[in-house]
Amino acid sequence: MSQKNRLASGGRIDRSKSLRFKYNGREYQGYQGDTLASALLANGVDIIARSFKYSRPRGIVAAGAEEPNAVLQLGATEATQVPNVRATQQELFNGLVSSATNGWPNAEMDLMSYVGKVGGRMMPPGFYYKTFMYPQSMWETYEKFIRKAAGLGRSPLENDPDIYDKLNHHCDVMIVGAGPAGLAAALVAARSGARVILADEQSEFGGSLLHSGEKINGRPAVEWVAETVAELEKHPEVLLLPRSTVNGYHDHNFLTIHQRCTDHIADQAPKGQVRQRMHRVRANWVVLATGAHERPLVYGNNDVPGCMVASAVSTYINRYGVVPGNELVLMTTNDYAYQTALDWADAGRKVVAIVDTRQSPKGARIEEARKRGLNIITGSAVIDVQGSKRVSGVQVAPIDAKGDKVTGSVERLSCDTVASSGGWSPVIHLSCHTGSRPEWRDDIIGFVPGKTVQRQLTAGGINGTYSLRKVLEEGATAGAKAAESAGFADAAKGIALPLSEEVKEGPAMALFHIPHTKPTARAPKQFVDLQNDVTAAGIELATREGFESIEHVKRYTAMGFGTDQGKLGNINGMAIAAKSLNQSIPETGTTIFRPNYTPITFGAIAGRDCGELFDIKRYTAMHKWHVEHGALFEDVGQWKRPWYFPKAGESMQQALDRECKATRDSVGILDASTLGKIDIQGKDAREFLSRVYTNAWAKLGVGKCRYGLMCGEDGMVFDDGVTSCLAENHFLMTTTSGGAARVLEWLELYHQTEWPEMEVYFNTVTDQWATMTISGPNSRKLLAELTDIDLDNDSFKFMDWRQGKVAGVPARIFRISFTGELSYEINVQANYGLFVWEKLFEHGAKYNLTPYGTETMHVLRAEKGFIIAGQDTDGSVTPIDLGMSWCVSNNKPFSYIGKRGMAREDCIRTDRKQLVGLKTKDPKKVIPEGSQAVNDPKQAIPMTMLGHVTSSYYSANLGHSIALGMIRNGHNRMGETVYYPQADGTVIEAEICSPIFLDPKGERQNV
Amino acid sequence: MSEMIAPEKVAANADAIQEVARMDQLAGPAQRAESPLHHADLDTIAKKGPKNGGVTLQEHKLLGHLVIRGSQDNQAFLAGAREALGFDLPTEPLSSVEQGDRSVRWIAPDEWLLIVPGEDAFQVEEQLRAAMGGHFAIVNVSGGQTVLELSGPDVRMVLKKSTPYDVHDRNFPVGKVVTSVFAKTQAVIRRTGEDRWELVIRRSFADYVWLWLQDASAEFGLVVKA
Repeated sequence: MSQKNRLASGGRIDRSKSLRFKYNGREYQGYQGDTLASALLANGVDIIARSFKYSRPRGIVAAGAEEPNAVLQLGATEATQVPNVRATQQELFNGLVSSATNGWPNAEMDLMSYVGKVGGRMMPPGFYYKTFMYPQSMWETYEKFIRKAAGLGRSPLENDPDIYDKLNHHCDVMIVGAGPAGLAAALVAARSGARVILADEQSEFGGSLLHSGEKINGRPAVEWVAETVAELEKHPEVLLLPRSTVNGYHDHNFLTIHQRCTDHIADQAPKGQVRQRMHRVRANWVVLATGAHERPLVYGNNDVPGCMVASAVSTYINRYGVVPGNELVLMTTNDYAYQTALDWADAGRKVVAIVDTRQSPKGARIEEARKRGLNIITGSAVIDVQGSKRVSGVQVAPIDAKGDKVTGSVERLSCDTVASSGGWSPVIHLSCHTGSRPEWRDDIIGFVPGKTVQRQLTAGGINGTYSLRKVLEEGATAGAKAAESAGFADAAKGIALPLSEEVKEGPAMALFHIPHTKPTARAPKQFVDLQNDVTAAGIELATREGFESIEHVKRYTAMGFGTDQGKLGNINGMAIAAKSLNQSIPETGTTIFRPNYTPITFGAIAGRDCGELFDIKRYTAMHKWHVEHGALFEDVGQWKRPWYFPKAGESMQQALDRECKATRDSVGILDASTLGKIDIQGKDAREFLSRVYTNAWAKLGVGKCRYGLMCGEDGMVFDDGVTSCLAENHFLMTTTSGGAARVLEWLELYHQTEWPEMEVYFNTVTDQWATMTISGPNSRKLLAELTDIDLDNDSFKFMDWRQGKVAGVPARIFRISFTGELSYEINVQANYGLFVWEKLFEHGAKYNLTPYGTETMHVLRAEKGFIIAGQDTDGSVTPIDLGMSWCVSNNKPFSYIGKRGMAREDCIRTDRKQLVGLKTKDPKKVIPEGSQAVNDPKQAIPMTMLGHVTSSYYSANLGHSIALGMIRNGHNRMGETVYYPQADGTVIEAEICSPIFLDPKGERQNV
Repeated sequence: MSEMIAPEKVAANADAIQEVARMDQLAGPAQRAESPLHHADLDTIAKKGPKNGGVTLQEHKLLGHLVIRGSQDNQAFLAGAREALGFDLPTEPLSSVEQGDRSVRWIAPDEWLLIVPGEDAFQVEEQLRAAMGGHFAIVNVSGGQTVLELSGPDVRMVLKKSTPYDVHDRNFPVGKVVTSVFAKTQAVIRRTGEDRWELVIRRSFADYVWLWLQDASAEFGLVVKA
């Protein structure tokens, strides 16, 4: 297909570089420098979407980020699919594959359009909310229908092959937008020596200057742009970011920028290159030079393909050498848009009429149009458009001076393109992100940024400043002020302002909604928000239904909801709501724009934090050995801990049974390095321990270890562990593996905020020590072969620690036990961890030294009724509930954390849920953890629940299942039976018993 | 310098020494020691891997790492450190001092990280304990962390990918040290030369940092030095 709308010359495209691309399966051609949108228009493609609600054909209306319709699906392969790409922002490359995202079966031939003709009735404003409510059960049915019809693009089904990453930046001056204001600001700031970042969403810097045809210093403005960019590139402290959308402006001048590094080159990034990059910028000062979007007018059938925003038409002609039609009708409320008619005429196509809503407009551009003999119809408006897949004509009628009603007869004009301009809306989105409320200005008929709390300046179009001369002035001033405020004195000195001629303009008319001969409700559809199919009638209906706040109107009608965030429609919508509510626009206010400005890919958000790097994996010094010996691993916090060590052909239960029995019968070994370890030094260390633990520490002698429970202020257990007295003023605390950081922070919190006078220092030594626990009746014999320490039971007792050597390596050995067996915890500097571990195995073979993991550890400790904080406790359990009143001392001179909490009325109830042991009637049956206990399994649902099972295993040593669980008043119900109804309808019966199933007197650990 | 310490303080120090547990954690050469990145076999990569690239990585392994805690209001502590080390602990925030094979990093107003040759760790700790007075703490963490040196023209880009801290010349001169976020973990980051930086990382996170650095420097070319 030929590029029938392409001009023979002009524009910033390279006609010598032809590019092939596909849209909806058909092959087209465009040129280097095209966007996908300009290439589609060049090829005469009118319809690029079907509308969301009414399934009406839609065409391209804009030329930038504000485009509501041309939201396409991109990707040549399944893995490279990208949804939500605005064709107006996607640069064309050879081999680009795109398709419409909505339209069923396709945008051109849409079955839904037949529904659409009546669909308006089916989907009035507030449709979502009404279907949510009446009746709720129908929602699932509606949803399928709506989703399929709406077709909002799709995500790829295969893994993205590309690399995305993030970069952190800091700068003195961050400038958003590289149009005339941004470039002027950057130039001044850069010359001051400040660190400057200049970001622009387009491939080329220059903004409106790339298509406006204006002059700076008497020469084409694009020459000034090129010189300016060339100078900026030479400044070593300037970072230029083209193709980079500043999508979020967050607190403390933190900005997130989405850069598309290779999206303009190919479907997939060249090997080794990053496809997209998220820049995270912390700026001292920010200059917003984001410009303005032209507002279309709201008139009958204004969504028919061929209806466009006036400046977009100029952009396509001047920048891309594309005239998107043959016969133009321009409707305008202002002087500036006359330029579009002039550009159209210059391109050699027919200007049917300029319809000016003002009664007697005067200005330089109007004079120029008159001079050229263009047909200007004043005091009139386009009230309706004819055509379905493309504009075929318009109806023009005179309107009154306020623009409220049609005052005369309707005339039909033939045309295929309607350009409209209702003036400009400053792009205040980023300013809104920071919480600043926009302010309305009657003189520019638009919202400008309100008071800011950030170190932020604005320049150019965002301020409602549209004359190039003033825009450049504001840019240079803002650049200088930002640089000076950031500490670069005299930035403004010696800067020669680029000069540009002022064009004389007459006042614009504040008109948003074009009247029709019929009342709005019965007039042809007048679209406000094209992406969400919100009409003027819909907004009026919303206000009639009582939605008076603009925020409610927005949510009720879905105005501004889509990926375009209402960039074109919102101001018109508010104006219509204001008029309907009989109040001014400032009284009505505006909705606030939120990040992101345009959609960002998940790839850019994730960056490199995916795959292997998604989460940290922490390893102990012996990890390699575990892997080589077939361990399966369990995640404990970020640690990878051996779960169990299956031998060939073993099931999990068989492996656990073997590991449990080997430990109780001979000796087992556990890598306990992950336990949190905190070194505590200082003369107040002991007293500090007394305050953070529930039990007493005053009399713990040097060389001794003690178990402790830690509670929150509420008296609920939150961590536990053994703390050893290394010397009079020196202790080593251990915590749960997952709780290490939390406990250290807890200690620091109390030290720094409550008891800063105490002389004590806490330091983490978790990673410093490799910890291996040998456990079982033969552990002493094994250790004796490797150590110089006297292991005699009389000199090295249970709950003692000793210092010496193991396998020639300096070690601290703690005789503590989490299995109830004779047990030694060997600690060596982690660099020697694997060496000592291997030595133990060299000597351990004859004792059948068996490595075990967390699962066997759980079974062995449960046999002894030892709790695991975080598994048997859940933040609602006191030491008393656990049956551990032996671990609470109320005789301490100073209070301790949790004491008052535990004394609360609710905590001293005797019928609280309490930890008990549970023995199933069927010894083979293991109650699933989390099962709820009831007294009577036959009672009606919902049953009265008594508590849940916290730990449950099969014990090979005991030959039956064992469980720990909470039971209401459980401590007083020993021997009674409770029932655990299961999801499959079966019921497991269990007897309440002591949680200590094995060796209740603790003889095994004392041998 | 010992004549500067009053006799009664020496006595007090002698008591203090009894009040903490001291331990030379170092074994002899017969006992194999493995640094946190031992499993990555950096020596082989150094031999067989690329010789040119924008980023060069070297692990300075098995050094002596001592955490020193004390108040800057405690003159006996500061003077003791000066006596034992031969130089002052840096009290200027985010600064470091390097003399010979000893280097000290300011970590927090009451915390420093001293790195010495691995075999000196216990002796230096003993000298510090003997010289310092008042409330202080010293913790040997030589097994719990390791030192990575990154050098080359593209290191700054790797750092910009990894840490939100500003590593620009104007904010991060040679000698500055910062403890900050590094990828999803943390690192003590010190600039040791024009294009040379040092990371002190925790043992259990070392493999993650190694994976991260390989990934972040891939586009510049990563050279591993033995």
